[in-house]
Amino acid sequence: MTAVARARGSERAGSLVVHGLLIVFTLLAIAPILLVVINSLKTTPAIFEHPFAPPGAGTFSAGGYERVFQRGHFVANYRNSLIVTVTSTMLTLVLATLAAFALTEYKVRFAPLVGGFFVAGIMLPIRLGTVPILRTMISWGLMDTLTALILVYTAMSLPLAVALLMTYFRAVPGDVKEAARMDGAGELRTLSIVLPMVRPGLAAVASVTMLPIWNDLWFPLILAPSQENQTVTLGVQQFVGQFLNDYPALLGALTLGALPLVVLFVVFSRQFIQGLSQGIGK
Amino acid sequence: MRALHASVALVAAALVALSSACSPSAGSGSGKVVLTLGSWRTEDLAMWQDEILPAFEKAHPTIDVKFSPTNTNEYNAAIQSQVDGGTGPDLITCRPYDVNRSWIKKGYFEKLDGKPMLDGFEALALDPWSDDAGSHYCVPTAAVLAGFYYNKDIFTELNLKVPTTQDEFLAVLKAIKDNGKYTPLAVGAAESWQLAYNGLYSIGPAYWKGEDGRQGLIKGTKKVTDPDFVAAFTAFDAWKPYLPKGFESLKYADMTQLFALGKAAILPDGSWDINQVAVGNLHVGVFGPPAVSAGGDRYVQEMPDMAIGINAASKHKAEAETFLAWTATPEFQALYTNKLPGFFSMGKQPITYTNALAQSFADLKKGAKLTPRLGLDRLSAGTPPFDDEVEAGRGCAGPRPGTSPHDAEAARKEPRPCEGLTTGTSSPSRCPRWRST
Amino acid sequence: MIFAALPLLNSMYFSLFDTDTDDGAARFVGLDNYRYLFTNPTTSERFWNALTNNVEYFAIHLVVEVPLGLLLAALLTSGRLRRSTGVYRTLLFIPTTLSVVIVGFIWRLIINPLWGLVDFPLLGDERTALPTISLMSVWQYVGIPMIFLYSALLAVPADILEAARIEGAGAWTAFWRVKFPLIAPQFGLIAILTYIWTFNGFDLVFALNGSAPGPNYSTDILGTLFYRTFFGSSGQVADLDLGAAVASVIFLIILVITGAYFWLLHRRLRSYEL
Repeated sequence: MTAVARARGSERAGSLVVHGLLIVFTLLAIAPILLVVINSLKTTPAIFEHPFAPPGAGTFSAGGYERVFQRGHFVANYRNSLIVTVTSTMLTLVLATLAAFALTEYKVRFAPLVGGFFVAGIMLPIRLGTVPILRTMISWGLMDTLTALILVYTAMSLPLAVALLMTYFRAVPGDVKEAARMDGAGELRTLSIVLPMVRPGLAAVASVTMLPIWNDLWFPLILAPSQENQTVTLGVQQFVGQFLNDYPALLGALTLGALPLVVLFVVFSRQFIQGLSQGIGK
Repeated sequence: MRALHASVALVAAALVALSSACSPSAGSGSGKVVLTLGSWRTEDLAMWQDEILPAFEKAHPTIDVKFSPTNTNEYNAAIQSQVDGGTGPDLITCRPYDVNRSWIKKGYFEKLDGKPMLDGFEALALDPWSDDAGSHYCVPTAAVLAGFYYNKDIFTELNLKVPTTQDEFLAVLKAIKDNGKYTPLAVGAAESWQLAYNGLYSIGPAYWKGEDGRQGLIKGTKKVTDPDFVAAFTAFDAWKPYLPKGFESLKYADMTQLFALGKAAILPDGSWDINQVAVGNLHVGVFGPPAVSAGGDRYVQEMPDMAIGINAASKHKAEAETFLAWTATPEFQALYTNKLPGFFSMGKQPITYTNALAQSFADLKKGAKLTPRLGLDRLSAGTPPFDDEVEAGRGCAGPRPGTSPHDAEAARKEPRPCEGLTTGTSSPSRCPRWRST
Repeated sequence: MIFAALPLLNSMYFSLFDTDTDDGAARFVGLDNYRYLFTNPTTSERFWNALTNNVEYFAIHLVVEVPLGLLLAALLTSGRLRRSTGVYRTLLFIPTTLSVVIVGFIWRLIINPLWGLVDFPLLGDERTALPTISLMSVWQYVGIPMIFLYSALLAVPADILEAARIEGAGAWTAFWRVKFPLIAPQFGLIAILTYIWTFNGFDLVFALNGSAPGPNYSTDILGTLFYRTFFGSSGQVADLDLGAAVASVIFLIILVITGAYFWLLHRRLRSYEL
């Protein structure tokens, strides 16, 4: 075999290995979720008798979904979750970018202290501050509003977002910034030049920020419990009883609840990472 | 960046579409007072919305009540955070005994002494929701019973009779196991509370003589290591060979499903589960905890489960009181207990239950001595809570002697009768290490 | 300058929300709560139990989740994939987008001895319950190190990789000698974040086993210990002061190690930066 053919052969082998491994892991990741979806379309006894069988003629039932839409206020919940998640994520990204840029750029004397402050923010169990947060919201008249949730989530996500973005900003080669500054660019301009280089960082931060906000149960419970303001995660809880669970409805609600996040994630991450090949080369 | 703009636009468009598509939630009419009723019974939502609340609102057109349940695992935390922070629902469903006492102490409730609505209840019924001085804070709603559901068809097939004594009970279990087709007892150990509530606290009273034993523990005159209690533990342990395979990780739902699918013969359970068990073509009956020996006293566990109280910070106390008074009427009690079979009224006036299984359950009380769950009144208020200890001890072979002393904790917290629980020797290494005094 | 400082201060103001500690009105009692926590036999036993469990929980995440994330990220950036990268990436990340209720439910069903695929009661046995739950958590969250390391790997400048290839480096060498050192700071960060997250961990264990979790507390970790102490459970009364003490101790545990990490290790990892 010629050297080229051998190289190509080994390349193909390499590709096979890569694909193979990825397929295995992907199956491992997806299979359980498919289970949830197929079981959401079965009757309760069928779920327990043959949990791994797809819904057949006798066992198919969309009753779970019916009840979800009757009992839950699903559209409203969706809307609330979307508003809270997207707004908090956007806010966090903007503020964190500014803060991280500032912290990595300017050797302000107290920068390490502020950095430490943020790190401390990551570490604190937020539920401890529930009562003071609650009291603050009441005194600001924000009780049972989505705004309260947005404020809390932004504050909660900022420390981590800042810390993470800082690592990405630090990885940007200094000469780029030097060059920009020497050309007379102001601070914001410099930032906008550097921004494309940290795009993957922004994508990563957006993903990590979005998830706990969407899936959070605790703060919607405390700060926005009324039915008009419930988020999807809170709404699903009503199908989990003290002793009894309405399984088909629960699974249906869970499936519906998980869907938007997947969509959101795809939308965000693709946008950011797609532009990468243009940004990085420079 | 254009792609980013596109995606933002997409999301914004979705939001607009959803906002317009979503139907506005029922707006409260002008001039109507809207009360919120908080509860941990998420599974009752349909009943309240469809049957119970409309009945109330017809009689009281100026008051709207919203039933707002929170999952039971988070209920305590949610109520505590909300009320501590100054909000919380107007009407709060009260947990029994110790948890509620701590809430009373924190000032969550309006005192209800002297109000006519309390007249419909015996003192014993009001007790779980009173403080140490005897003032009452919540109006009882329902109690539950513990017993054994059994599959009548399996019993007929295997020629079994309903057991009345412990020996008969074990014989029945053995017969089912020997037959091999069915699992004798549908019990899972993964949810410890139900081992305690439906297991030990259900058959135990026959050994520690119900109220005698329970009050003895509270007053400190008896110890969990006394022979009566040890006998109860032993009897409970005797169930072990008859449990389904892998029972250690079976949860409550699994147990119920096992029985409902006809694969198990007997399900030790509470009356609240009636609707889950009597499904499809299943012929289900119920029998009470067996007596120790033939002709001995029968004991049944009756647990006052929930009551409703008024949030002291509520802005609509007058209307809340109206609602509360309504729950004290026999009309409400009949409506509630018949829509939610398995919950029994605690009022003075007897109710007939339309659900046959519920009525059989209630009939178990006739001629039996009643006692609530052992570990929930006072005994779980210290550290460690008695309830947790019993539950933690599951899976251990042999009698579980007891828990660490409460005394130091009790003295630290507040003056309270000494629990008098002591420890004993430890069991095999997998079991919790009991500390000696 | 001012323009940059403003958002900084703004952020600082917001982060005040996070640092609310409330030691309760019993503050004048001083360190009594802490003394009680560590000397009372029951609470101290629960605490040390929760701590040891948490360490095990963390160890499993560190040893399984992070390397797995690295592997997946490396596979995704290996340059062999072209179009399908996005598909794999999304699919692999989906478990991370799920709520713990789904994750708990579905895995419990799969390993249920009665209806599922496994004979042995994994969640019911003291020895296996904690590793089982840890692995469920790993399954769910492996997407996070994957995404981070993936974007870090993407940021490695192409010219360096070109240079390495020209010098004859194979895929393996290129990865370990070139790519990995360059992403070392992110790797370290993920490791320490894993530490923080697992010691603050709570949701999955709570969703599966409630607030007094595990066969005989074998899956009780610091997060659930805190919740149970601070809020009580259906049979247990809440103790706010003790709960606050527990939370402070947890915070200290996290702080000490994180601080040590940043002072000692992170600087050295950053020396690899360009």
